[in-house]
Amino acid sequence: MFTIPLFVLFGAMAVGCALAMVAQRNPLYSAISLIGVFVSLACLYMTLQAPFIAAVQVIVYAGAIMVLVVFVIMLLNVEEEVRRPVRLRFLVPVGVLLAAILIGEAAFILKLPGAASRIDAFGQRPSDVGLTASIGTALFTEYLLPFEVTSVLILMALVGAITLARRTATPRLAAPGNVDTEPPELGPRGEVFIRPGDTAETGRAFARHQLQRGEAAASAKRTGEEGER
Amino acid sequence: MILLWQDSALGRMSEGIQHPDLSKFLVIGALLFSIGVAGVLVRRNIIVIFMSIELILNAANLNFIAFSRYLQETGNVNAVAGQVFTVFIIVVAAAEAAIGLGLVIALYRNRGTVFVDKIDLLKW
Repeated sequence: MFTIPLFVLFGAMAVGCALAMVAQRNPLYSAISLIGVFVSLACLYMTLQAPFIAAVQVIVYAGAIMVLVVFVIMLLNVEEEVRRPVRLRFLVPVGVLLAAILIGEAAFILKLPGAASRIDAFGQRPSDVGLTASIGTALFTEYLLPFEVTSVLILMALVGAITLARRTATPRLAAPGNVDTEPPELGPRGEVFIRPGDTAETGRAFARHQLQRGEAAASAKRTGEEGER
Repeated sequence: MILLWQDSALGRMSEGIQHPDLSKFLVIGALLFSIGVAGVLVRRNIIVIFMSIELILNAANLNFIAFSRYLQETGNVNAVAGQVFTVFIIVVAAAEAAIGLGLVIALYRNRGTVFVDKIDLLKW
């Protein structure tokens, strides 16, 4: 019954938080603004009689995904973006013109004569489409194959994420900052363990170390062969 | 009490006037989509670009839910399709978040930066 005030409130909140997300220079503030967008979208879903999607939106998006994003932001601890001078300044009027055309187009379609009669306002007639039971029934009957394919997708994403974020056995490339020239020790089967703080300098030291060892082994072999002879 | 209010004359009068229609939700979706595209193009921090992509997906979700509601109003039996599709989009977004953030961590470990203008190894 109060859906117009609710729509205005949460729609404005979603758009405002989205603008704040793009405008913020600190990524953590952007993440918090994005959480605001997700929560206000969940409220809009409630007014659209989709309680299950609203709950999933809050739990999965605002909960799981944003925790992951905030975790990575905290882990990497990157500095804020610095604003840079605008290049291609002559394109700014073109952009303004194109945006005006887009807005005018949208307004024309919305205010088209007869648009209001074709699209009726949503009533408050209760329906069971948005309920968990009907969505579950659809998922396990009509959309069973996409559901199963999705489980394969999640498995692939799991394996891929672990593979990507795992520590690799190759010396990493240039990372500015700490220099550790101590060569890394070898594992029992000759594998290289990367320690925290290893840099390109470590890799070079390791390469020199390997080269010296190879030369030493070669000369030892040579002297051994000469001794046999 | 809410039911009483809905049955009252005032409630009946407000019916049809106080409810937004489909186009208003589509406007919100279009705005969120445009802001997300602007974020992808303007920002240089790859994590913020990633969050802008999430925003774009959410704009699509809002459109799906609004159209599903519209189909409910028109009595279409297939109205649940929009909500099921939204569930799939959320699942794909979660998988994308795991992969994307794994990529960001691998990138930061190898290059020491998350700013996309510094990651120009393939630039000729």
